[in-house]
Amino acid sequence: MNKETARSLFMDYLYDELEPGQRKELEQFLANHPDLQKELEELGDVRSMLQHLPVQDPAEQLVIVEPDKSGFQDWWNEFINSWIPQSKIVRAGFTMASLLILFVMLGAFTQLNISINDNGFQLAFGEPKEPVQQGYTTEQVEYLLEQVRQENAAMVAEAVQAVQENQDQKLEQTLVNFADYIEQQRRNDLQMISSGLNDMEETYYTRFRQTDQVLGDLIQTVSRN
Amino acid sequence: MNTGQNDDMEDAQLVQDFRGGNHQAFNTLVSRWQDRIHHFAYRFFASSDDAAEITQKTFIKAYHKLDTLDDVEKFGSWLYTIANNLCLDELKRVGRKRATSYEALKTAPQTETATSADGQILRNEGLVLLHKALLQLPVDQRVVVIMKEYEGLKFREIAEILDESENTIKSRLYYGLSSLKKTFDSWNINKEVFDYE
Repeated sequence: MNKETARSLFMDYLYDELEPGQRKELEQFLANHPDLQKELEELGDVRSMLQHLPVQDPAEQLVIVEPDKSGFQDWWNEFINSWIPQSKIVRAGFTMASLLILFVMLGAFTQLNISINDNGFQLAFGEPKEPVQQGYTTEQVEYLLEQVRQENAAMVAEAVQAVQENQDQKLEQTLVNFADYIEQQRRNDLQMISSGLNDMEETYYTRFRQTDQVLGDLIQTVSRN
Repeated sequence: MNTGQNDDMEDAQLVQDFRGGNHQAFNTLVSRWQDRIHHFAYRFFASSDDAAEITQKTFIKAYHKLDTLDDVEKFGSWLYTIANNLCLDELKRVGRKRATSYEALKTAPQTETATSADGQILRNEGLVLLHKALLQLPVDQRVVVIMKEYEGLKFREIAEILDESENTIKSRLYYGLSSLKKTFDSWNINKEVFDYE
């Protein structure tokens, strides 16, 4: 046991809630630690001083008066309580059943009609009526269809013509570009050929001069000899 | 069932009887617990009016909520929980007013008593200071000191009422008593003051 452990047992010791074994162990420890013994005694003094605190008794005895059950409200509450079950689950079921009955009664009173068919979900009060078909006659529909067809044909023709013109323009542009390319290629080739001929002519001239010079030197040498 | 028969019954049985429709059983519980709840509230506030109000509210609340008590064997702890919560609510409601009051108490009182020759006067003033010192404690320590010192509850019961661990309760009590010791020392109050009868 250390001092902290001893302190943690102080309250149990002071209020006599310590096991006999622990109590003896604490007392032995305190015998060797007078500072802790003093602290415990001081806390005990505080306790004994607190016991002198005066207290006042209540001035009058409280009495809860039994509610008067003769009134209609109480009779009604008792009646309801006797009919409604106390269990929460059963009470929830009871509530749902009541709501369902209320819903059915209201539905019957208002002739509520709910149906689901190919047209979808229908909610009506009273007998549901067949939807009134209001629209065009067969001739009018055919005339409208013919108009639509004509408009579609005109639109398609316009679209085809526009595409054709666009393609022609693109083809013409492509041909022009190709011709320009060929012309440019031809000019380049001619320039290369001309340049080659000039180089060849220059080379032949240089070699001719060299040959001529060598022959001149050879003649001079032969004539000296 | 009359009141005389109720007097011999355990609290748990009275609770069951009340739930079964015996209204008088609750009045027996009131008469059995009224003093303790009143004393608890009185020591908490040092005011008879506040104590009476808290006691009344506690039993009214208990009357309406007794059906929600899960373990009828713990009626006493449950009642203390209600009373303690009402005390804390009241403290919160008039916190500003009480804070001012506490500030006044923090000033060390005049200790002419130390030189007074009249032991009875000394003792009476000591008793007043005793309650003032208790009121100066932080609320959580004050509640534990009252419940342990005056209501005689076990640490386990206090822990249950305050929904804290037993070690927390013991720690609060230790610091509460230590704090009271310092206050008494600063006011020159010792246990000899109360020896005059």
